[in-house]
Amino acid sequence: MNTIFSIRDVSVRFGGLTALDAFSMQVEEGAIHALIGPNGAGKSTVFNCISRFCQPVQGRIEFAGQSILDLPAHRIVGAGIARTFQNLEVLRRMTVLETVLVGLTSRVENYVPFWRSAKRSRAERGAVEQADAILVKTGLMPYRNARAGELDFGHQKMLDLARALAAGPRLLLLDEPAGGLRNREIAFVDRLLLDIARRQGITIVLIEHVMQLVMSVADRITVLSFGKKIAEGTPVEIRGDPRVIEAYLGSAGHA
Amino acid sequence: MYGELPTRSFILIAALLGLGIVLPLLLPEYFLYLGNMLMMYAVLAIGLDLLLGWSGQFAFAHIAFFGIGIYGTALLHTRLRIPFVIGMPVAAGLAGLTGWLLAIPSTRLRTVYLALATYAFAECAQWVFRTWDGVTGGSDGLRIKPPSVLGHVAGTDPAAFPVVAVVLCLMLVATLYLTRSNLGRHLCAIRDSEHVAAASGVDVKRVKIVAFALSAIYAGVAGGTYTLFQSFVNPDVLGVGQLILVLTMVVVGGPGSIIGVLLGVVLIGLLPEALRAAPRGLLVWQEFLYGLILMLAVMFMPRGLWGLIEAQLSVRRAPAKQAVSAAIGTSGPLDLKGTGR
Repeated sequence: MNTIFSIRDVSVRFGGLTALDAFSMQVEEGAIHALIGPNGAGKSTVFNCISRFCQPVQGRIEFAGQSILDLPAHRIVGAGIARTFQNLEVLRRMTVLETVLVGLTSRVENYVPFWRSAKRSRAERGAVEQADAILVKTGLMPYRNARAGELDFGHQKMLDLARALAAGPRLLLLDEPAGGLRNREIAFVDRLLLDIARRQGITIVLIEHVMQLVMSVADRITVLSFGKKIAEGTPVEIRGDPRVIEAYLGSAGHA
Repeated sequence: MYGELPTRSFILIAALLGLGIVLPLLLPEYFLYLGNMLMMYAVLAIGLDLLLGWSGQFAFAHIAFFGIGIYGTALLHTRLRIPFVIGMPVAAGLAGLTGWLLAIPSTRLRTVYLALATYAFAECAQWVFRTWDGVTGGSDGLRIKPPSVLGHVAGTDPAAFPVVAVVLCLMLVATLYLTRSNLGRHLCAIRDSEHVAAASGVDVKRVKIVAFALSAIYAGVAGGTYTLFQSFVNPDVLGVGQLILVLTMVVVGGPGSIIGVLLGVVLIGLLPEALRAAPRGLLVWQEFLYGLILMLAVMFMPRGLWGLIEAQLSVRRAPAKQAVSAAIGTSGPLDLKGTGR
């Protein structure tokens, strides 16, 4: 397996606060790589650097051998990296289908928006077909024409994932896809992630607090605490690592 | 929204076009004047809504672009003898260009800061119209010569009516196509979440600038139609009162919905007429009423009258929707058979 995505020595500061401190991680193609750590450890900051919403003060981020730090935010998805959001950032007033169509942006041919044209019909028909296929896969087809803001929590999470999948990414960044979901829904996410990684060969970086999901699907786990990487390894290695247990539960002395 | 237009919309627009030709033969002049005003406001309000309701940008420079449309079309016609069919698009293009230039710095701003900066621009523009005596006639105003449109001399309300109707219909068709396009979806995505939009590949800054420019073009076109049935313009027409009037139309009718905005234009536009018919003395309260209506609309119906009507319609449809999902067999969230594997 070869490394498809790498972060080297990335540091991010917000004023006096060091959110990420010389953080590095390598992700292998086709793997599910989990990124875990206590709240405020800097996990979402890693994603925000990759999405180009925040600018690291130092370090390199490379995807498929190319630096992505020179790209503006809207070119990241075209480069092959899609993401979901931790705090429900749904397109509230748009319908489920429209949301997935927005996700298809980087794959839809442009056309003049003011009148009818053959190019337009072709582009729109193709996009709706692709969107419908994704809605079926994510179980959202019955809600196709509902407004995203009117869906329940679990469906909004799934819609966010559907929107990201629509871009046809090679790397998928998932920010707590199972956070706040019920057990039955977590089982669905579990199966869906395995399907995305194993059958479709999409590499996944997964931020998640639901350990049952992380331990079940992750090939490799990186642990962050206070902006620093404190451990990395397979689920079995991480489960028994004393540094990880300390970061989550406090040291034995304090307990 | 997506895909092709429903035939219903086309039938409605065709009907409007038919009325544009037939009504001048039937109605008294005063009603045609009201009709012209309402149609002009419809173009103006739909343009403002492109920014406000569709893109979620609180920008209030609209009245300035309306002014560029009026003065541009009128001056090109009276001074340079450029006919309306060329002059109006040129003036609207100039308004669009100004909007585009204003957008480049403005799109760095958000919410109340954007509102203040664009409002300040509108004030500056009004000052220019008022003080540039040599060109605009200053505060004395400018006399508008009756323009001729492809040999048809407008200038009176009955003569202008069909032309204004044609312009409105063209703008409506373009708007329907726009809102159902890729670009229309990008506007909505930016309104609902800039982060999601950018992460999905939408060039947020570029789309905002395009929205500003398009919105300014609508205002410019509305300004062009003004010259068809008004014989005079002065800078007082382009003040904050006018801005609040258009804003009230959008907010009361239903931001982000073409039908909603048209509803708002008709209701708010006819309010002075209703007051005139009411017991004497109510008319003095007109400005007060606009303010009160705007305030109440913002507080109690954030999606306007059309939002309320839509909610009522969907409540009535809801039981049917539940029956459908029961038939498909969705017992709970994310619990569909045959997915995932």
